[in-house]
Amino acid sequence: MKGLPTLPGWLGKVGWRTVVGALLLGGIIHIGATLAVPLVSNGHAFARLRDTLPVNRMVILPPPAPGRQPLPFLTPDAFYAMCRFDVSVDSVMVTALMAEPGWTLSLHTPQGDNFYVLPAQAQRRQQVSLTVVPGIDRLGDLVAAPRRLASDETQVPAPTWEGLVMVRAPLRGLAWRAETEAALRRAACVPVKRQ
Amino acid sequence: MAFIVLAVGGGLGTAWYMIEAGSRLSTRSSGPWVTWTTAGRSDADPYTRAHTVRNALLPLASTLELTFQAKTDSGGKRLSPACEYAIVVEGLDTGGWWSLAAFDSQGGLIQNSAERYAFTSDTVMREPDGRAVITLARDARSGNWLPIGGSSRINLVLTVQDAAWAAAASEGRMKPLPPIQRVACR
Repeated sequence: MKGLPTLPGWLGKVGWRTVVGALLLGGIIHIGATLAVPLVSNGHAFARLRDTLPVNRMVILPPPAPGRQPLPFLTPDAFYAMCRFDVSVDSVMVTALMAEPGWTLSLHTPQGDNFYVLPAQAQRRQQVSLTVVPGIDRLGDLVAAPRRLASDETQVPAPTWEGLVMVRAPLRGLAWRAETEAALRRAACVPVKRQ
Repeated sequence: MAFIVLAVGGGLGTAWYMIEAGSRLSTRSSGPWVTWTTAGRSDADPYTRAHTVRNALLPLASTLELTFQAKTDSGGKRLSPACEYAIVVEGLDTGGWWSLAAFDSQGGLIQNSAERYAFTSDTVMREPDGRAVITLARDARSGNWLPIGGSSRINLVLTVQDAAWAAAASEGRMKPLPPIQRVACR
């Protein structure tokens, strides 16, 4: 019939059992491939940054520029401070000054899940301090949720032993560059003995 | 042979499409802008998680911040460095922060002599009525000029940090985003 697409000749010779079987196997391959990507991919953000970030130490990165981007699609008009945390031995204390709206302090798993985020409050500079503790037991089960120990101290259980801390400081303009960088330099990542 | 082609080709092909382009299961659209609704969240669906890992992204949880990507203008045509575009931003910063940046298809910044790669709610110049008009063009323009020459494919990324916005989007009430108007091509 005119107007309808014609199937390739070889497809017409395929029996319906083959088609149904292929669809079932294709579905299994589809699900398997989708679930496997986060497990087998070695190009994720954590893998890209692992070699440039020392463990449990905050590093101030230069603002992204062509050929000098820590990660793709990262907002360019901002400074970034990053820390690769590892809580397998000690907990990690993270401190930062949330200076302006748009500033964020975020914690990520190696797969990129953002399990904790704290945005800056409008009209209020806020010094924040939190302790990243293991949130999994040796069997890999989650054991706790974030909890506030005091007005200035929060304990954040990490769902993985390793991960990333990112402080993003948007640049309000060239005139504020030095001020923004100075405020970001107050961000720190320090291992602390587990109690 | 046909069995293998159908099963492997179909399985891998549809998985690749769902991870790279997304679908209504994992993304929401507003005009040319597309966002992965559970990006960065611990309860993200498998497609979003695979998309994040494959593209080396480090998104903030979509309960706080939404990242929209546009590869076409509002007329559905692929963004081209040979064209000039106008984006009128209004109503985005009702209490939040936003950023509009231009990247190549791999997420790299586009080299330009002005060393300008983005505008944010802090850096953009506004009209007297509060709107911001951003012009994307290869050559310099007055006002908020975002250079897009030097790349064959352009991806615009609009980041909006506003918990109220994010909550509305997660409930399917996507607010209108700035249209990308093609002004001229050469």
